Amino acid sequence: MISAVQFRNFKALRSAAVKLGPFNLVIGPNGSGKTSLIQALLRLRSLAGLPAAHRHEEPPPNAAGPELVFHFNPPYQNLHVTLACDTNDFVCNLLVVDHPPGLDGERQWAGLRARLLTIRAFLFDHYAMALPARREDGAQLASNAGNLAAVLAARREKFPAAFALLEEEFRRLVPEFAGLDFRPTPSGQIELVARTAANGGELLAADSLSQGTLYLLAILTLAHDPEPPAIVCLEEADRGVHPRMLREVRDALYRLSYPQDCGEAARAPVQVIATTHSPYLLDLLREHPEEVVLANKQGNAASFERLSDRADLVELLCEASLGDLWYSGILGGVPGE
Amino acid sequence: MKLAILSESPADEAALRVLVEYVLGAPFATVQPALRARGWPSVEQVLPAILRHLHFNTAADGLVVVVDSDDTVVHDDPHEAVGYYHPLCRICRLRAVFRRTLKNLPPAHGRSAGQQKVLRAVGLAVPAIEAWYLCGRDTAVTETAWIAGQASGRQPYSRRELKWRVYGTERPSLPFELRRAVQEVSRHQGDVRRLENDFPRGFGALAQDLRSWRSAAASPPAPAPLA
Repeated sequence: MISAVQFRNFKALRSAAVKLGPFNLVIGPNGSGKTSLIQALLRLRSLAGLPAAHRHEEPPPNAAGPELVFHFNPPYQNLHVTLACDTNDFVCNLLVVDHPPGLDGERQWAGLRARLLTIRAFLFDHYAMALPARREDGAQLASNAGNLAAVLAARREKFPAAFALLEEEFRRLVPEFAGLDFRPTPSGQIELVARTAANGGELLAADSLSQGTLYLLAILTLAHDPEPPAIVCLEEADRGVHPRMLREVRDALYRLSYPQDCGEAARAPVQVIATTHSPYLLDLLREHPEEVVLANKQGNAASFERLSDRADLVELLCEASLGDLWYSGILGGVPGE
Repeated sequence: MKLAILSESPADEAALRVLVEYVLGAPFATVQPALRARGWPSVEQVLPAILRHLHFNTAADGLVVVVDSDDTVVHDDPHEAVGYYHPLCRICRLRAVFRRTLKNLPPAHGRSAGQQKVLRAVGLAVPAIEAWYLCGRDTAVTETAWIAGQASGRQPYSRRELKWRVYGTERPSLPFELRRAVQEVSRHQGDVRRLENDFPRGFGALAQDLRSWRSAAASPPAPAPLA
């Protein structure tokens, strides 16, 4: 959906640009702009909810302030959105839309705006996921997945087929469990429980599940969302997951980005922007270097680079795995020492 | 017979189990947990440790290792000459690791006199294991075609294209990949002659190693030295 973003004076992204595809795994050292990229998208979502300024009515820009320019894929390729700040501020608080003139342009912006408002970003927290949640909070997954119990309970009620598919995947990935269930707590909330495959189907509360099990369940909850957002940002996609299970994490995220590849051609693709520090997860994208974004930091300035732009990558991969190449430093995207 | 399979994924392992059984002509047991490597060169790096582990800590009779050739040199008849070693051939390199590692391992408790060392079976999927899956279904996919492509500088297909031909997508889910892998190799119904014909260097080398296991198992143990 978003084809590219240009950054000026936005945190460490002083003068940078990044092209985005359907699936993007962003790697790089701390402070290299990975989270800033996601924050830029969240800022876009926030400002898209407010009345937009149009190019002809935009106030004089603050040349020293931050500016973000977003470009889009078809059918929104003729629209450009700029986030800027007015002359008295250094925070992006102004959204300027360039769209074709007339009613058709207005309609295009309305369509794009509706999609932008669904952008979601997640950094899962297993402590939060293990807690009971209020049943009425189950509309959409919170950024830390703290309402996982409520979301899954609501899904089982409203989308039983989607829930059944998720549960089937959960059983496959964590075969010690036979399924998921929910029970009310004395405080009126709802608690997630997992039914064991052995021991007569013993019920284990979420706070007794392993961290990795909760993280996998949260990722499956995203991947099997029957009403997914247009863009999903997931920080530390590998968090808490055994290296051998990272293939499943990748596949779950691919399910969002490439629905036609898993028999869901009717669903609109979700653009995924995931970050990781795991060389093992990176290894799984060896065949698709165009899906990897390297975030680099030079001094206080950060920049982005597509791994597929590296001309000698094929030759390098004959000698070492992608994860090892990254760790070695020859690809960039490593801390300065 | 008890053996270990070192592979990159559960799908590769499932397909190799079928093929190994076809070549051996008998069912076998595998050591647990399943052994995994993260592709080349991780296989080469981890192989000595795996051999040592199998030798001392398990009852494994042999180890099956199959790697993708990617764009590297494909194993060839001259490489089979005694003492020959091609530094860019992955089969030659893996065989060298087997030799170097096993040569230095002392006898292990519990290993029979006739089976002192872990047996070797090394294969090379040219350029990737999906090429084997297409054997007999896509006649354009052969080692000869790939090697001719290497010589001319124009490869007849890429690894990504092979994935597309097998799975209908470049990004199959693991369960689907596993199902397709087993479906495709099971087409051979116990007869691997077509695979040996179309992939004589990579698959042929694997089959040759495995058949040597049968003769190793059939031959009586060496007599114990006189005291």
